[in-house]
Amino acid sequence: MVRRNRAVQSYLTGVIRDTLGRWGARFGLAWLIGITFLAVFAPLLANSRPFLIKMDNQWSSPMLRHFTPADVTLLVTALAAVTLLLLRRIPIWIRWVTLAVVVVVTLVFSLIYVNPPKTEIYSIYREAAALGRVQFVLNAPIPYSPSDYLRDQTNSDPSPSLQHWLGCEELGSDVASRLIHASRIALAIGFIAEGIAVVIGVIIGALMGYFAGVVDIIGMRLVEIFSAIPTLYLLLAFVAYFGRNIYIIMVIIGMTSWTGYTVFTRAEFLRLRKQDFVQAAQALGLPLRSILFRHMFPNGMSPVLVSLSFGVASAILAEATLSFLGLGVVGAPSWGQLLNQATKGGGGFRWWLAVYPGLVIFLTVFGYNLIGESVRDAVDPHLKKASML
Amino acid sequence: MAKYIVRRLLLMIPTVIGVTMLVFFCMSLRPGGVAAAMNLEGNMRPQEREALRQYLNRRYGLDKPLIVQYGRWLNQVLPIGFKYDETGKSTGFGFKVPDLGHSRLRDRPVLGLVAETLPVTLLLNLLTIPLVYGVAITTGIYAARHRGKWFDVSSGVLFFALWSMPVMWVGAMLFGFFASEKYFRWFPTGGLHDTMAEHMKFLPMWTAAGFERGWLLDTAWHLVLPIFCMTYGGYAFLSKLMRASILDNLSADYARTARAKGVGEHAVLLRHVFRNSLIPLITVGAGILPGLLGGSVIIERIFSINGMGNLVIDAINQNDNEMVLSITFVVALIGTISLLLADISYAIADPRVSYE
Repeated sequence: MVRRNRAVQSYLTGVIRDTLGRWGARFGLAWLIGITFLAVFAPLLANSRPFLIKMDNQWSSPMLRHFTPADVTLLVTALAAVTLLLLRRIPIWIRWVTLAVVVVVTLVFSLIYVNPPKTEIYSIYREAAALGRVQFVLNAPIPYSPSDYLRDQTNSDPSPSLQHWLGCEELGSDVASRLIHASRIALAIGFIAEGIAVVIGVIIGALMGYFAGVVDIIGMRLVEIFSAIPTLYLLLAFVAYFGRNIYIIMVIIGMTSWTGYTVFTRAEFLRLRKQDFVQAAQALGLPLRSILFRHMFPNGMSPVLVSLSFGVASAILAEATLSFLGLGVVGAPSWGQLLNQATKGGGGFRWWLAVYPGLVIFLTVFGYNLIGESVRDAVDPHLKKASML
Repeated sequence: MAKYIVRRLLLMIPTVIGVTMLVFFCMSLRPGGVAAAMNLEGNMRPQEREALRQYLNRRYGLDKPLIVQYGRWLNQVLPIGFKYDETGKSTGFGFKVPDLGHSRLRDRPVLGLVAETLPVTLLLNLLTIPLVYGVAITTGIYAARHRGKWFDVSSGVLFFALWSMPVMWVGAMLFGFFASEKYFRWFPTGGLHDTMAEHMKFLPMWTAAGFERGWLLDTAWHLVLPIFCMTYGGYAFLSKLMRASILDNLSADYARTARAKGVGEHAVLLRHVFRNSLIPLITVGAGILPGLLGGSVIIERIFSINGMGNLVIDAINQNDNEMVLSITFVVALIGTISLLLADISYAIADPRVSYE
């Protein structure tokens, strides 16, 4: 038990160390850390509500008052993750458990105790400042919320200016602010959708590879069904019928993109199923779940590891594509949605709505792909070494 | 070989049935049913509305169990099955025209719409494949011959970056900068033909009025940007495959034998290695079609080309569920057939492959 754990970890650590030594992975990781930073600190970076304000001789912090449970949970989680990353003495699994506990506890507490006001007009602070009622104000670096449509402002030129660095979108809100807040959706889609895809794909692939025969034939038909229909058409059809809720979209992306994992896991399990350690596990009478996921999966996880990063990239791309086609999440900001506005509607081509959101999508997808490529290069020699032994 | 193809064809039957089931149950799970899709607005009392809804459900067979509905729908969309006349009476079993339903959005049979738009989408896709292959094969060979040199490295990085570029971004940028009136107006803004294309000669020619570009050149001009968008992402995978395959074959025994006989390096590459290296590229050829079909939805949207992708987006936006269902079904059929072709071409191209 203990030895197996160490073997898995040393393999994983080896792959991770090897991956991080490559420039592609470093670039990708740096960009993703940047995006994660933007996602976690979004309300502090771009917000119409001042961080600190002295209005009518009264101090208050509208930004803190309007924190949502999601904001609080994200901030606390990020803080806990960084702290735990720095505590090198503690074994890895304790750190993971602590992080999970912190997330759950914060989520529950913030859902109960954090109650931001339902509605508030964004412009009251700007209007108060114009009337001279404000004695002191400390604004966020980008003093515009993503859904602040700036109805009170008369500036009608939406192109980038000193005030709006990346310009405004068609309804008038600040593009930079929307980009920052949209990174949350992108990251969440990547992880949750791909998590679902991995779980489905690995379970089906493991059963196919382990049992082979009839199960394999049936499973292969299932894979064929899902890979015969272009994912985008499947997504479009599902989204058309089940609505545009963000969680539904995540589940749908996950449920339409698992075939890759299945094919790889199946191949690995077919290779492993006749090996001695698997037969020993069977002879010991271990339950199927244990044979498949404790004994076989750690030995056959390399291809899953490789395709994981590419998968996250394609999930993010899928969401952006849906939003681009006007079928994405309603209301919340999204990168694809901004890109969609570049060529749509009157007024011709708005280049800032094409260049910046597109660049962000590209760099994120590129970052994940670079990491995936590096993992593949890092895993390959391990695979070769393993097959030589 | 024949045995394999027959077995593969037989295995296609459950796949097609599975595809239709997936598509059908996806539709039937949606809230409401056909009655909700129809417009039940208007000045009606609740009882009347309920009666109309029930009538519609009975009219379209929605009061039957799901599996019966599925059977009926399958019978309806397949080119072979039980035939019914206008009054709904069975007229026997045999070949018939498949009925893909009626589009609410266009008020036309979906079959006609598909017959109109499918060639456009297929034209885009079938033009893309040879272009991607041409570029990928050339660069793959060159990169393999100059392995590790600057061309190898830079083409690898460039193609990888291109592959990561979202097609909607590239499409929107090209459209915005090269087709809109604001910047360079080098290309048409959309469609496949000029409005005057009907009156053009087929080939470009010089006339008294000057140069006339003709139908062919006009279409090509309209296709430049869309086709570029469809191709650029595909180079990475195929050229890498070609490069790896050439390198594999260059160190194979038969290549060494050829060299030992005194065949020049150039001839070894072009006459011996090249043909064997094409095998993996042939085998993935048909398999990339489903991905391309997906990608062409975005291209058709940006460049307003009236293909199936554009049709399906319109249908979704207008809640025309029957059309969404039918088009997904048609696309799925194309995908299944291309997967089948990929498998068969694999067996044909490489006799070493056995499926026993």
